[in-house]
Amino acid sequence: MLENEETTYNIIDLLHSSKMSYFYRGQLTQNITDGILALTETNLSKAQEPVKVKKRVYTILVEGLQNITRHQDLKNERKSFFGIEQSGDFYFITMANTIGNAKIDELSMQLDKINSLEKNELKEFYKRALMENELSEKGGAGLGLIEMARKSGNKLQYSFKQLNDKVSYFYLRTYIKHNLDDVSSETNHLEFDNIFRLHQQLDEENVLIVFNGIFNQESLINLLSIIESQMAGQPTLKKRVFNIMVELLQNIVKHGVTPFNDDGNPGIFYISDSPNGYKLCTGNYIANENIANLKEKIEDVNKLNKKELNDFYDKRLFNFQIDNSKESGLGLIELRLKSNSQLKHSFKGTSEKISFFTIEVTIQE
Amino acid sequence: MEPIKYLATDDTPEVTLDAENNTFRIAERSLPENAFEFYKPIYEWFEKYVQSPNRYTELHFHLDYFNTASAKQISKLLTLLEQIKSSLIVKWHYYSDDIDMEETGARYARLTGISFALIEEETEDDDELKIIYD
Repeated sequence: MLENEETTYNIIDLLHSSKMSYFYRGQLTQNITDGILALTETNLSKAQEPVKVKKRVYTILVEGLQNITRHQDLKNERKSFFGIEQSGDFYFITMANTIGNAKIDELSMQLDKINSLEKNELKEFYKRALMENELSEKGGAGLGLIEMARKSGNKLQYSFKQLNDKVSYFYLRTYIKHNLDDVSSETNHLEFDNIFRLHQQLDEENVLIVFNGIFNQESLINLLSIIESQMAGQPTLKKRVFNIMVELLQNIVKHGVTPFNDDGNPGIFYISDSPNGYKLCTGNYIANENIANLKEKIEDVNKLNKKELNDFYDKRLFNFQIDNSKESGLGLIELRLKSNSQLKHSFKGTSEKISFFTIEVTIQE
Repeated sequence: MEPIKYLATDDTPEVTLDAENNTFRIAERSLPENAFEFYKPIYEWFEKYVQSPNRYTELHFHLDYFNTASAKQISKLLTLLEQIKSSLIVKWHYYSDDIDMEETGARYARLTGISFALIEEETEDDDELKIIYD
C-alpha cells in the first residue's frame, strides 16, 4: 500500500479534468523559467495549435513568469506557484505569489481598471502606461498585467487569500480559447476553489513540481532541466534524484498504455521535498494482464538487502538475454539501490482492461 | 575505417571513434529512450575494429550521467572489447564529487577482464543559481 496514496489520488483527482497540466512551486530562476517555457513549447507543438494561439499562450507565460520573478520574496518561506492547464476548449494560466496586505487595494483597483476596458481602450492604456513607465523608471507599473489581458483577450481573474495579518496569496488566472474566432467568454470555467485546494495540497506535501500529461522523451528532458535547476543540495543526491526520475519516467514512456485515443502515454509525475528526503512519485495506466508480473518484480526487489541488490545488479548488467529496445532488466534494481529505500506501489482498476499504477520512491541518504 | 563522430545532445552522448587518430571517447550524458538502437552502430563499429585493432587502444568514458538502458549497452561493448584486452585500457573519468560514477567504473572494472584506470576530475563550477529580472 502506498503510504501517501491519498495524496497521490487527491492530486490526480484535482487534475483529472484537464488534459495536460503542470504546476510549479518554488523560486523562479532563469533556468527554471527557460525549462517551463520549453516544456510548454513541446506540449503546444504536440497539440497542433494555430501559431497565433501558441504565441499568445507563450507571451502570457513569459509575462506571468516575469511578474513573479519581479515580485517574489526570496526570503519568504512560502513559495510562488505557477501553472498551466489545457482543459476543454481552453488554456488556463494560473500564478500565485505572496503580497503585502497593504498593497491589496491598489492592486485590485489596477486589475478592475484593466478589466473594465475594451480592446481598443486597453491598447491606449498600454501605450500610456508604457510612456509613464519610461518616465518614472519605476519598472513594473502593471504593464505585464495589461499585456496579459490584451493577449488573452479575456478578463483577468484574481483572488486574494489571506495568510496572516501581514501577507496574502495573490492569485491571478487567465485563459485563452483554442478557437480565437469564438468570442464568447465562459467565465464559469474560472473557479478558484480547485486551485486553492490544489495549491494547499502541494504546500502541505511540499511538492516542487507536478506534471500531468503525455510522457515522451521530450517532456522528460524538459522536466529534467527544471528539476536540475530547482534542486539545491549536494551533487550526489542531486544525481540520484536525476537517476530515479529518468528511470521512472522512461518506464512510463516504454510501458505505459493509454485509455484514451492519444498518441503517447498519459501519466502524472510529482516530486516533493519531504521530511524523509526527496520523494518521487509517478502514476500511469497499465494493462491489467501485466499487473501480476510487475507486482512480483517489485516485491522481489523489495525483499533484497543492499548486498543482494548489488549482486543482482551485477548479474543483470551482463545478462544479454534481457536486452532489447524496451528492457534492460535493471530499472527496478537501480531504483532500490539509488534510493536506499523500499518501493511503494499501488494498483487501482479503472476498467476491465486497464489499471492505474502508482509507484513512489523516497531517496534516503 | 570510417570514424564515428556524434555531438552531444540533451539525451545522447558525444561519441568519437577514430581509429586513424587513435581516439576513442564517449562523454557527457546518455539517456536515450532507445539505448539499444543508439548504441547499435557503435557496437557494430567496434565489431569491425576488434578484427584489426591498433597496437594500443585507450577508450575514454567521461560520462556525466547515464540511464540503466545505456548501462546495459556499455556492458555489451566492454564484453566485445574483451577480445582485445591485452592491448586495451579503459579510462573511466568521473567528477570528484560523483561517488556513484566512481562506483560504476569500479563495478565495470571488477566484472570485465579489462584494465581500467579510474580518473578523478575536478568538478566544474555551477553558476545556475543566478536570479533573473532583477
